[in-house]
Amino acid sequence: MKMHTSSKLRKEFIKKWVKGLQICCSSKKNMDILERKKKIKLCADIALASAKNETTLWSIALISEAKKDDENKILVDNLLGPESRFKPRMTNRQMIACHKRVRSKKILKKSRHVCQKMKKMGPPKSNLAAYIAKKLVKRRTQVLKRLVPGGESMDKFSLIKEALDYILSLRIQVDVMRTLVNANEVLNQSDSKIYN
Amino acid sequence: MSTRRSRSRQSTASRISDDQINDLVSKLQQLLPEIRSHRSDKVSASKVLQETCNYIRSLHRDIDSLSDRLSELLENTDPTQASIIRSLLMQ
Repeated sequence: MKMHTSSKLRKEFIKKWVKGLQICCSSKKNMDILERKKKIKLCADIALASAKNETTLWSIALISEAKKDDENKILVDNLLGPESRFKPRMTNRQMIACHKRVRSKKILKKSRHVCQKMKKMGPPKSNLAAYIAKKLVKRRTQVLKRLVPGGESMDKFSLIKEALDYILSLRIQVDVMRTLVNANEVLNQSDSKIYN
Repeated sequence: MSTRRSRSRQSTASRISDDQINDLVSKLQQLLPEIRSHRSDKVSASKVLQETCNYIRSLHRDIDSLSDRLSELLENTDPTQASIIRSLLMQ
């Protein structure tokens, strides 16, 4: 069952990526290498997210993030089609203010919890290992939240579920891109043989 | 009375999601190249999280370096080459 969905995703991704590459790489003939690289990568990222068809949180977050950049907006709109429902829900300033509010509430909550825990804690040695383990999990969860698009606003369960899907999708992206690189190298080699 | 009821409801809810979380974590474990080689299923949660983050980062790096190489290779795309590439990818 999983193989079937992944080959479908793969085909969708290729279709959208090729379409995007045609749009952005045909506009300017002489782009510098860095600019072309950025466009290739952007096309690939958006193609992958769009191929998910709004079925995952990470793909929705990735696309709404990409739409915020005015430079990319034209490309994204072209790739997603005119009926694209993705609209950034908040402006950047609103997002920052919202984050600050959420963060200060979290800090207040945390300090209250810590005070309560300190009262409950028995002899420090017996609880220390569990305490450290919990801290480690907490810290690493924070890191994961930053790595998965849209992870900051996910609960622990969704975060793990989304991370799983995100990894599977990224693997497809890497595999397709690598196939293209290999194919290109073969073609370039054979070209040079013809002309020599 | 009400506190006892609400407390038990809370514990059943967390019990269900704990199982689901464990299921997800084991699925994640199977994906991660580092951990798959370890024989047992006794891997700590923090280790799984760490390996997940490392794996995502390495996938990001792969995509970045592949984009670099593609930008060099696709410098001169003539239409015949493009159609060959497309058909290769479609397989």
